[in-house]
Amino acid sequence: MCRLLIVTILFLARFTTTAGTLIVCPSGCAFSVITEAVQAASDGDTILVRSGLYQEGNIIINKPLIVIGENQPVLDGNNNSEILTLLADHVVVQGFVIRNVGTSYVEDRAGIRIKNARNFTITNNRLENTFFGIYAEHAQDGIISGNIVTGEAREEMSSGNGIHLWYCKQVEVNRNQVTGHRDGIYFEFVDHSIVRENLSHQNLRYGLHFMFSNDDTYEGNTFMSNGAGVAVMYSRNIRMLENTFRNNWGAAAYGLLLKEIYDGDISCNRFESNTLGIYVEGSSRIHYLHNEFRENGWAMKIRGGCAANYICYNNFIANTFDLAVQAKMSENGLSENYWSEYNGYDLDRDGFGDIPFRPVRLFCFITERTPEAIVLLRSLFVDLVNFAEKISPVFTPADVFDSQPLMQPLILS
Amino acid sequence: MVLWMACSPEPKQIQYGMDACHYCKMTIMDNQHASQLVTEKGRAYLFDAIECMIGYQQIQKEDFAFVLVSDYANPGTLISAASGTFLISPAVSSPMGANLSAFSQASDALEIKTRLGGEIYTWDEIFARITQTHH
Repeated sequence: MCRLLIVTILFLARFTTTAGTLIVCPSGCAFSVITEAVQAASDGDTILVRSGLYQEGNIIINKPLIVIGENQPVLDGNNNSEILTLLADHVVVQGFVIRNVGTSYVEDRAGIRIKNARNFTITNNRLENTFFGIYAEHAQDGIISGNIVTGEAREEMSSGNGIHLWYCKQVEVNRNQVTGHRDGIYFEFVDHSIVRENLSHQNLRYGLHFMFSNDDTYEGNTFMSNGAGVAVMYSRNIRMLENTFRNNWGAAAYGLLLKEIYDGDISCNRFESNTLGIYVEGSSRIHYLHNEFRENGWAMKIRGGCAANYICYNNFIANTFDLAVQAKMSENGLSENYWSEYNGYDLDRDGFGDIPFRPVRLFCFITERTPEAIVLLRSLFVDLVNFAEKISPVFTPADVFDSQPLMQPLILS
Repeated sequence: MVLWMACSPEPKQIQYGMDACHYCKMTIMDNQHASQLVTEKGRAYLFDAIECMIGYQQIQKEDFAFVLVSDYANPGTLISAASGTFLISPAVSSPMGANLSAFSQASDALEIKTRLGGEIYTWDEIFARITQTHH
């Protein structure tokens, strides 16, 4: 046992001596400029940057290095340059405050740019007032976690994304907080990646945005008070699990926008207080299971070109409208959901209502055709029209019904 | 005169960050790529990208009073598509992935092409090309 320990210690000692540590601080250390330490370092070395203010323009890391900030040193771009560019594999960047890249209309400046690199780790940094926060292009096998990315975007046109991935593979984006950008997290041509437990709030457009990306998962994230929550577009095999979509209000606002996506899984999410919980268009083979829709204007709007979707075991509670449908629902499955609007009975006590629930109300049908009619929403006239239609349906689509509505809401965590 | 004014089709002011693209439903944010069709009856359809506008023109074949695209070099300015010069450059990404931008001055397009690479097209050429590659 003792011998093993000695061998281990010797091995570790040997290992640590091969990779050196270069220390950078504003004065009194071996280096006062990070770029010079990077130039002097060998592959695999650690560069330890002590606290202080560093204004070096763009620091280019072109060899495998571990770059660690101690007590949050500040890298300031003085509003005229990118700050960190990673061009090599196996680079770690941890513990920095990175700020002020300034805006440029010809180039998309970023606080940290990762380009053509593998096995990168960007953790526990704070990015402030960077046009794009973290921008990865043609990168793979990386981790972006625990960063706080705060933008100052106020104008839609002159705003970049918080965490932006373009042509990437196998990247994990975990536990970041992103605010004040165009899209909080943006994926374009990104495959086999995971977005987990992030908080994306008060971004101008979307909390999270997928374009042309396949086989990705996002789970346990919170999307609050963004222009709209999440947009998933032109993508396949996206799994959306245990996310919270809250307070996305406005005429063009959604909790979740799905456009031309296939084979998705939307489970165990919460949609609360959104103008529109989910807007779906041209999307097929998607399973909606165990979601809760609470106090939204519309829980779901389903447009044309949607087939083989299954909406089962969800709670629809206190939404102004549960469903608005302009698609053939006979080609989709809708059953065993709980609808707080349902007031049928269960004489055989099997837990399911004995008469089907028709979630499209006549007035919803009218507002689809004439949006301006929404001003009549709370009027007595509308209540009467809805009631009459419920008794004897004439206008509302015959194929939209839940044949087995649950009598009690599902207990969803 | 007043009645005539009210009936003639007019382009609509795009509310960036508020209006949604009629074709892809995305919120329109980018004032270097937003586009607009106005029907003979005066109804305006807004798009976040030129490729979305062309996509819509394919499914909605009718004559439009205005076919407008953003001048990339003058953000926020709409120009007639027929008079524009178009550039597809991998270095200039557009909202829906076609890397397509429009310019009122051919020299602006040429300058970016020389510096960053790409191909230049007329409106008819780009319409045919996008029609072929999308759908």
